[in-house]
Parts: sequence; structure tokens; C-alpha cells
Amino acid sequence: MHHELLILKHPLRVRMFHYLLIVSFLPLAATGVILYFKPLGESAMNLAMQIHAAAGALLALAAGAFFLLAFDRLLLFVKRIFTFSLDDVRWFAVLGGYPQKLLLGRKISVPPMGKYNSGQKLFGICVLIGGAVLIISGLALWAFPHLLPRAATAYLGLLHTFFGWLLTLFLPVHLFLGVYMVDDFKAMILHGRIPLAEAGEMSPRWVEKEIIPLSENQ
Amino acid sequence: MEKQSLSYIENQPALSRREFITIGGIVVAFLALPVVWIRTIVASNNDYIRARTKGLYQDDARAAVRVSHANKSVARYYREFGGEPLGHLSHELLHTSYINRTKGLVS
Repeated sequence: MHHELLILKHPLRVRMFHYLLIVSFLPLAATGVILYFKPLGESAMNLAMQIHAAAGALLALAAGAFFLLAFDRLLLFVKRIFTFSLDDVRWFAVLGGYPQKLLLGRKISVPPMGKYNSGQKLFGICVLIGGAVLIISGLALWAFPHLLPRAATAYLGLLHTFFGWLLTLFLPVHLFLGVYMVDDFKAMILHGRIPLAEAGEMSPRWVEKEIIPLSENQ
Repeated sequence: MEKQSLSYIENQPALSRREFITIGGIVVAFLALPVVWIRTIVASNNDYIRARTKGLYQDDARAAVRVSHANKSVARYYREFGGEPLGHLSHELLHTSYINRTKGLVS
């Protein structure tokens, strides 16, 4: 009999939020780039703006719902991404061993990580802060720019553009590494579970300190 | 070969009550800051408009002559020189026509 040991890494609430992020942020990034470079005609640009606003509203609603319905998960995420140690410096010194693995086909020893590695923590910080800035500034610029002083509108526009580009440029890296770590990809997109052996290799501290058996044959 | 799953899960709560209150407070405070900032600048923008409006009303209230037809100089102009309001002479003298003065500026 073959026993496959699995850990629930991404609970349903997190996966639901991630699905909504996918369907809202991908059109937001695409239309954001179009709105920045303005390569299309007037009607196409108007359509891009309408899609941008609709996807932005969906993102804001999803973030608001996650804030209210999964506040404990949000706080856990904040705690994890803002918890640092010397291992994070060591991880960044070798970039998690990814360049060696991808370019040289060589596996090197990497400092033990928790649920998120140092690169994922950096990405998480950018998503958390950048996402909040994008939602708040986007809402203000879309709903009531006429009530804001001109300088404030310009400042919010600059912030929106900066964080929009930051997250848009992070997106291909996130997609590549997400698909590269195929078990984690399947967990986030499908069932939420990753093999214990995989978790033990990628997130040994998480497995060691935070994991307990749930039940058998579920 | 039969495939059997054994499930593991995160040991909840991974956050203590103290951490929950502290981190929750910081998150809510950081989200409230920009909202308060935007509300403040919108209010200050309206304050400026209200102050300007109040100043204009104040100027009006203090002004001895508030309308052109009550202006003694204007009345004297029509009485002694211009004839009647909207008359031919006044039209010729007081009405202006558009002249494009930007041509000389573009070079």
C-alpha cells in the first residue's frame, strides 16, 4: 500500500481569493500597460479604461471580502512575511539556489525556510503594500478625482503608476516560479495540498514547527 | 497499488491573542491612514472653496455699489454722453470684438 503524505498548504478561503486575484489582476495589468503607453484609438482606449475600472472594482471587492472573512489568514500572512532572520540574508546571498539550479543544473544547500521563503516574503510585502496603495489610489482617482486638490490627484496618480508597474513586472517572475514549483502550483490552483516530502524540502521550518496530523483517509 | 492519503494541517492558531491584536491593530491603522489623509485633503479643499465664497459674499456686503446700473459714474456716462444703454454709440464704443493675439507669440 502506498501512503502519500499531504499537507493542506492553501485553505479554501485563500484559494478562492487567489482565483479572484487571477481573474482581476491579469486584465488590470494588461489594460494598465495599454493605458500607460496609449497605443490604441480613442474607442479602444475607452474600452481599456472601462475594463480597468471593472477589474479594479472586482479586485477591491475581493480584497475587502478577504479582509472581512479571512482576517486571521491575513494577519498570519502579515506575520510570516514580516518575520526576518539572518537566514533571509543568507537566502538572498544565494538567491534561494534558483540560478544555480536553473542555469547550472546544480543543487546547493539553502538556509531552512518557513512557509514562505525570503523571495516570497519580499513579493508578499510588495503585494500587500502595493495592492493596498493601488486599490485606495485607484478608487480615489476613479470615483472622486473632482473632489481632490490637483496636487493630491497627481501624487495619487504617480503612486498608482509606480506600484502598478512594480506588481506588473513582478507578475511574470511570479508566474514562472509558480509554475516551476509544480506541486505548489497544483495546490494553489486545485486542491490546496502539497506532498509532505516536498514541503519538508522547501519549507522545513514550517513542517517542523506548525504542522500537525489532521486525520487519516480524508 | 492502492493510493492512500494522510492529511496534515497547520496547527491553529499560529497566532497568539497578543499577536492577533498587535498585528491586527497595525494593519487596520495602516489602512486607515490613507483614508484619513484623503478625507482630510478633500475637506481642506472644500474649506478653501468655502473661505473664498465667504470672502466674495463679504466683499459684496461691504460694497457701496453692487450693480452697474446703480453706479453713479456709469449713470453719468449715459446721461451726459452715451445716450441710452445698448444704444448705437455705446455699442460702438463699449463692445469689443475678438482679435487673435496669439499669432505674434508663436514663432
